[in-house]
Amino acid sequence: MRYSYHRPASLDEASDMAAALPNARFIQGGTDLMVRIGQGRERPGHLISLRRIGELTTIDANREIRIGAGATLSDTLAHPDIRRRLPALAQSLAALGSRQVRNMGTIGGNLCNASPAADTAPPLLVYDARVEIRNGRAIRCLPLAEFLLGPGKTALQAGEILVAIVVPDPPEGTGSAFIRRGRVTMDLAIASVAASVRLNGGASIAIRVAAGAVAPTPRRLTAAEAVATPTDDWSRAAIAAREQIEPITDLRASAEYRRHLTGILVRRALTMAAAASGQWSIDR
Amino acid sequence: MTRSRHVGTERPRPDAADKLAGKAHYIHDIAVQGMLYGRIRFSDHAHARIARIDTSLAESVPGVRAVITGQTTPEIRFGLLRDNVALKKDRVRQFRDEVAAVAATSPEAAARAVELIEVEYEPLPAVFTPDEALAEGAALVHETDHAGRSRSSNLLPLSCRHLTGDIAAATAASRYIVEGTYTVPRIQQACMGTSGCLAEFSPEGNLTITAKTQIPFLAQRDFNRALEALGLTNRNSRVIVPAIGGAFGTGLDTHAYEFIAILLAWKTGRPVKIVYDRREEFSCLSPRQEARIRVCQGCDDRGRLTFRDVEVIQDNGAYTSWGATYPNVMLVTATSLYRVPAVRFDSRIVYTNNTYCQAMRGYGNPEVTWAIESNLDELAAAAGMDPIAMRLLNANEPGDLSPMGLKFDSCALRECLDAVATSLRTSSSPPAGQTRVRGTGMAGLINVGGGGKIYRSDGSGIILKLDDYGNVNVAYGGVEMGQGLHSALTIMVADALGVRPERVFINQTDTATCPWDVGTHASRGAFMAGNAAVLAATKLRERLFALAERVYADEVERNIARIGQSERIEAFDFRAARAADFDLRDGYLAPRQAPDEAWYRIELGRLLRAAHFAERDPAIFTEEAFYEPPTQLPDWERGYGNMSASYGFGAQGVEVEVDTETGEVRILRLVAVSDIGRVLNPATLKGQMYGGIAQGVGYALFEEVQTERGRILNPGFTDYKVASAADLDFPIELRFVETNDPHGPFGAKGAGELALAPTAPAIANAIYNAVGVRVRDLPITPEKVLRALSETSRR
Repeated sequence: MRYSYHRPASLDEASDMAAALPNARFIQGGTDLMVRIGQGRERPGHLISLRRIGELTTIDANREIRIGAGATLSDTLAHPDIRRRLPALAQSLAALGSRQVRNMGTIGGNLCNASPAADTAPPLLVYDARVEIRNGRAIRCLPLAEFLLGPGKTALQAGEILVAIVVPDPPEGTGSAFIRRGRVTMDLAIASVAASVRLNGGASIAIRVAAGAVAPTPRRLTAAEAVATPTDDWSRAAIAAREQIEPITDLRASAEYRRHLTGILVRRALTMAAAASGQWSIDR
Repeated sequence: MTRSRHVGTERPRPDAADKLAGKAHYIHDIAVQGMLYGRIRFSDHAHARIARIDTSLAESVPGVRAVITGQTTPEIRFGLLRDNVALKKDRVRQFRDEVAAVAATSPEAAARAVELIEVEYEPLPAVFTPDEALAEGAALVHETDHAGRSRSSNLLPLSCRHLTGDIAAATAASRYIVEGTYTVPRIQQACMGTSGCLAEFSPEGNLTITAKTQIPFLAQRDFNRALEALGLTNRNSRVIVPAIGGAFGTGLDTHAYEFIAILLAWKTGRPVKIVYDRREEFSCLSPRQEARIRVCQGCDDRGRLTFRDVEVIQDNGAYTSWGATYPNVMLVTATSLYRVPAVRFDSRIVYTNNTYCQAMRGYGNPEVTWAIESNLDELAAAAGMDPIAMRLLNANEPGDLSPMGLKFDSCALRECLDAVATSLRTSSSPPAGQTRVRGTGMAGLINVGGGGKIYRSDGSGIILKLDDYGNVNVAYGGVEMGQGLHSALTIMVADALGVRPERVFINQTDTATCPWDVGTHASRGAFMAGNAAVLAATKLRERLFALAERVYADEVERNIARIGQSERIEAFDFRAARAADFDLRDGYLAPRQAPDEAWYRIELGRLLRAAHFAERDPAIFTEEAFYEPPTQLPDWERGYGNMSASYGFGAQGVEVEVDTETGEVRILRLVAVSDIGRVLNPATLKGQMYGGIAQGVGYALFEEVQTERGRILNPGFTDYKVASAADLDFPIELRFVETNDPHGPFGAKGAGELALAPTAPAIANAIYNAVGVRVRDLPITPEKVLRALSETSRR
């Protein structure tokens, strides 16, 4: 566990360091990376901390909500606009790890870690989030779905820094919800589902569903979205969701159970989202 | 003994401030001049012949001072059956077997060197379940025993059985009979503080070892044997116990890493410390046994139990620790929880190539209680009876002599069951949503509460040393490992002697300064320490009062000179006071008939200085006592003998909500009512109860060491889950039915283990009550509940 630790004060400095130093890794809260280093699964020669770079931590809520990649999970959760306008994201943050992890971990770190079970990913996918990436002095943007490539794999190229997550403001009348299940409260998800619903008198206008921990990356469940309707109590959406995932068996649950559970969670998340939209009552 | 002034009052624990301030010295914090860091190379196979070990690369790492293997060091044999050796010479029998070790000047150098040791193996056929291990032609885990005699099967030569009455006749006479097989997984003790030790030799070859142990004196014996193996005859091991961050049974045996630290220290002539990291703690330290328990119980048409038949098969793993004697403790519950006229108990323990297992809190009792209390609920269902009514009908009573010969001089099981039943009857709010169903369940328990005799002596010594200032220094050989022993001992010494608890100081546990104690296990610490303290304090009080006869009058004259005359002095003829007139209370000697008069009160320190500096017969005051409880070492072939001086009882009830779509079980509330005799310190007792219940919830719902062909798959807290505060988000109601046990110090019985015994069956019974499905295999995961639900609906 020998590495040099660097603390650049600006993004330019950080980019330059990354270009100059061999075997370097960027680090934010370290809640995932330091665990892997401790386990010997990763052996960087240099850690470049992004924690001193103030512009990474700002959250701007205007027409779009722009969350600095270095905003801690706690700060993001505490932001009134995120709680009000992106409730499914707030719910995912509240369920993520422990208070200590949320105080250290960042939203950018949660995405860059690229766990199939990343809790913030399903709601961000549902909200059509995109990511801002800094490449040297240039900026490029990607839809989040194209950023997450596989377990531990993102679209970031060497030396690139995830700078922000940009979320379009959900249209008036949108309800959204997030549900996750682990073996215990503080556990990686067995399955997680986010949904957003905008209805007009029982007819769907816009429905989004995404799931985590049931495929190599968190993913949108477009097949479920296409057939989702409250008139069948979201049953077809649940069935379609089970078809569109690729769960595995691991220490936490079997593939069979994950498939079953995802269907249940899709139905529940859609029901909750519809209730939250204010235009549809679950009591009917 | 005086009236209790502090016993029963809520007091902060004496070790709390240091621990909160980060000042307690755990093994991790200890470093001495010249210390080396030891690290172990573990086996990569479950069963294999070691063909070759090459240590040359490891030796070339800068900072490395020694690399040792079984070939280059004397054999140190250890374990309950002496079937284990510190470093394996020619064969490994489990993944964690120790094949080589390194001592280096830094942990990093030791870690690098260990990786560079090259080991070639020739894999051997292996067995991973008791069924595989007992099958015809199965590979033998040990081909010979410790003495070189050949072995023909993987069955351990340990038997523990019992038979009372005629099971066949009782079966025939029963109106209802239910049989079931119940399984429990391996689970991890998951101590916050990982294992470790620091070994150091004096130039004369005497060893001082600071070790995370619960058995300093039995460890001293084991370490002395190791010294003999090194050719160091007539030498001694001194065992010092540091602050311990939880032990839960992991310290009940000596471990290979301790002997390896001794070998490395002996080889290098330097102090060597080995501390396990979390991964090693999970994968290289022994967990709780996996077991399969078949239970058959019957009752008559009124619900009275007619017989109980229990068969245990336990996966021992590759070597034998004290944990192999779980059946000895299972006997208590199997024969004696509820009144049963006919009982049969049999147990088999089997070698496999899994990680070897060891003691954990409860020591067989949570396992057997899980099986019996689940089965009893099934029997009640078969008989169409309320399970609570069935338990009450069969409850043990004070004065009972059980089939095993256990004597219940105090027993409030009935009151505990009643209180739980009453609490469960209060209704809660209805469930949210149609897919959620609620139910209640309960389970009772018995647990040894006055020691547990499974060794030749179950005794404890104590030394109380008074200094010139009225302080009491206590030397006790038991171990504070977080459970609150020092809290209980402090208030018992204070009350037994008559001083304030602030004047009681408990020494670090050290075999050089403390008298012998068998070890801190079996819920025995406070019970034994308290009884020993009462014996020693009684002697001290007798001596102090005899002394007072001589010096009291002069000291009162001095009081009068200082405070001034008063006519009230004449109310008591202090010049004629005899020993029997005195009492010691809150650190003051005073006549019983005028305890609060300033003229008559002599501060203890003053009295002691008067004795110390007396011209005639000067004396200082230290007393020792040894308490051996009035118990029997049972005859295990017959399963008979009163192994504990007293027995704790209790019951737990839970209300659960089962999600019928996902199989998830949520605990809504839990009530635990216990008879642990008199409550010594409610604060530490509640801590013991909450902690035990948290472990019980984990055992019931999610804890499991997962393995694949002997390899542990979840060696860390990411993948092995214990209950955190967030998982205990339901109200826990704790109540105590305070019996006054005649054998207990101040009427108290042991309370360390009983909290987790009935939690799992109470939860399983509540699930059955809610949705009508019975899961007999711990942990009760959502998948298992869902599977049981779908099987039931298909039927």
